[in-house]
Amino acid sequence: MQLIRAIIRPEKVDEVVDSLDAKGFSAFTRIDVFGRGKQKGIQIGPTVYDELAKVMLMIAVNNEDSDEIVRIIEESARTGSFGDGKIFIGPVDEAYTIRTGEMGL
Amino acid sequence: MKEVIAVLRMNKIQQTKDALAEAGYTCLTANLVYGRGKQKGLYINPLGNITPDDKRAAIRFLPKRMLTLVVDDASVSPVVDLIMQTNRTGMIGDGRIFVCPMNDAVRVRTGERGNDAL
Repeated sequence: MQLIRAIIRPEKVDEVVDSLDAKGFSAFTRIDVFGRGKQKGIQIGPTVYDELAKVMLMIAVNNEDSDEIVRIIEESARTGSFGDGKIFIGPVDEAYTIRTGEMGL
Repeated sequence: MKEVIAVLRMNKIQQTKDALAEAGYTCLTANLVYGRGKQKGLYINPLGNITPDDKRAAIRFLPKRMLTLVVDDASVSPVVDLIMQTNRTGMIGDGRIFVCPMNDAVRVRTGERGNDAL
């Protein structure tokens, strides 16, 4: 199992969620975060914004689905300009559904 | 060392924290998050009945609380059991728990590393 953390533009969230939903991946956790990247934020005139609003989507998936999900997120969140975000993938040892106590997704 | 990420109901959070503190797990990070599961959020038809099959989405993401605890390997299963017991109502939306590996931890004040820092 893998935990995918995708940091994307807030205005692209609906698009990403809809395109993942269409492929059958419907469970997410959404967190509003602030961040900056290699460009050290953005400078408009004399003002530097170094904490830009982003949304982090957390998705736990089976190993074989992770490549497909990353591809879908890439395609739907891409605008081509700086600030499209990043995707991080990490391992999950165990997952539990609290209602049933079952292990697994 | 493991990271336990639990996405829980808003109104269960105090109970969960109390239960964890009583069992000796006092350190945690709490976050306000929005989430949805297999049911794709909450769908309510004009009569007020909740029907998961109805595609007129009312609430795509539901507010949840996320607790993140970093615990040593031996404490993972007691913590998971405790969170599950405290939060189980038997209805959809009870939440989910993820256990992820964590390589190292550092206490900023003293510079301790590993299990000493927990």
